[in-house]
Amino acid sequence: MGRRSFLRTSAVVTTGLVALAASLKPLLEMNDFPTMERFLQKYYKEMTPQDMAKVLQRIEDEVEKQYGLRPHVRDLKPLEGVEFVYCLNLTRCIGCRKCVHACVAENNESRDPEIQYIRVLRLPDGSLDIDKADHFYAPESVPEKGYFYMPVQCQQCKNPPCVKVCPVHATWQEADGITVVDYDWCIGCRYCEAACPYWARRFNFTKPSIPKERLNPDMAYLGNRPRRQGVMEKCHFCIQRTRAGRYPACLEVCPAGARKFGNILDPNSEVSYILKNKRVFIQLKEELGTAPRFFYYFDV
Amino acid sequence: MTAHAKTGVTLAVVCVSFSALALAFLTDSVQTRQARPAIPLVDTNFLDRSTTRRSYADLVRAGDDLSDFDCYACHDKKAPPPLRLDTDGNIIVAKEHADIVMGHGRHGRNNNCFNCHNETNLVLLQPRDGRELKFEDSTKLCGSCHGPTLRDWDAGAHGRTSGYWDETRVKDRQRKDCVNCHNPHSPRFPSRQPAPGPHPLKELTATAAPPGGHA
Repeated sequence: MGRRSFLRTSAVVTTGLVALAASLKPLLEMNDFPTMERFLQKYYKEMTPQDMAKVLQRIEDEVEKQYGLRPHVRDLKPLEGVEFVYCLNLTRCIGCRKCVHACVAENNESRDPEIQYIRVLRLPDGSLDIDKADHFYAPESVPEKGYFYMPVQCQQCKNPPCVKVCPVHATWQEADGITVVDYDWCIGCRYCEAACPYWARRFNFTKPSIPKERLNPDMAYLGNRPRRQGVMEKCHFCIQRTRAGRYPACLEVCPAGARKFGNILDPNSEVSYILKNKRVFIQLKEELGTAPRFFYYFDV
Repeated sequence: MTAHAKTGVTLAVVCVSFSALALAFLTDSVQTRQARPAIPLVDTNFLDRSTTRRSYADLVRAGDDLSDFDCYACHDKKAPPPLRLDTDGNIIVAKEHADIVMGHGRHGRNNNCFNCHNETNLVLLQPRDGRELKFEDSTKLCGSCHGPTLRDWDAGAHGRTSGYWDETRVKDRQRKDCVNCHNPHSPRFPSRQPAPGPHPLKELTATAAPPGGHA
């Protein structure tokens, strides 16, 4: 080989290697590598109870190592004869955003960068033009005259577009109506985020930062266990609470009692009463055919 | 220039430019990462799930101080307290009860003390239909005028419940009473400061408000 051909080849090879190194730069920035155990973990629906017990143990160990607090992680199954529905009274919502922060505290969402499953929209009275809503209102006191407030979160649609587009079936709808995400199966392609008409999906661009003192140790596998970088998350109707018969955190904190939750298959529940007796109902973007489980209503 | 030389030059240019780009990416010199201001933790007041007020029943359950409800510590059992109205027909609240600010009903049309309180027996409440109610049953008094609201409250559609949606899990679902949220003398829900709004990942400039406002 002559000098020139040697120089040529080595120039090309060096460029190639340097370009390869540069293209792998994002890996240098990743600080949340999965362990081999997690990497080889089975899909949620294929796990035996023994597999799940081991996985829950692993999660508890990991959280204890990271946050210094041993959580209690459960795998709660859907309750028999239960289908959840959420009713939100727009006459009562005062736009205080307590639900937003109660959700963040309950579900161990990242504080920086900030992830909030619920977004409260401020709309002028008489308008339902969601695209012109104000997300960033910050008055001295709420409610403000001439406006009403509409909190939006995952609508747990009966016909969810996010489930249809997931290439790996990491998200699916369970028997009680909650659309769940298997955080260890999600590949982070964000197709579901693109498909959701309600912007309900949240992506972890970095490792979520949860302050140790605000960690909620009462966790569920499909619910509020801490996620890792590169997975999607969203409102799951506080699955760790609702499948144990309790109200979601957003409902418990609402000072105006604007939020109502329950089992639509139970004729004596408050949501059945509301859907039977109240007159004006709004389902966001119902023309898209997603059939959301969220019913916004007015009191008169 | 011969084809051979052209190839050589092109190759050299490509190598140099690719290497320069690669080095730029590796050393972060091209990428300008905006430093984001730290997002403060939310005030724990906004996470508080308790109601604004405590009812008489709550105080009894907790064994708290009930001296505020001991009317006959000052009043005379034989003499009903008089009702004083000013020249406009508005109630004048006695200075001993100065903490009570009346504001019940539009234009204060339900400010008359004895519309609810029983003047001959101050420890009882009196709805218009002649019943006598204890303070623990004040919800029935409110409901005697606010019928549709009471009906909604009974079904769980008005007001707050805490604890369990599933009635099979617990006997008492902790329905909050009217007075847990509404001050009976001035029932209108007080306005309050809202919790902080969202901090999007990419700071939005004042003029570039996106159509959906989402981030």
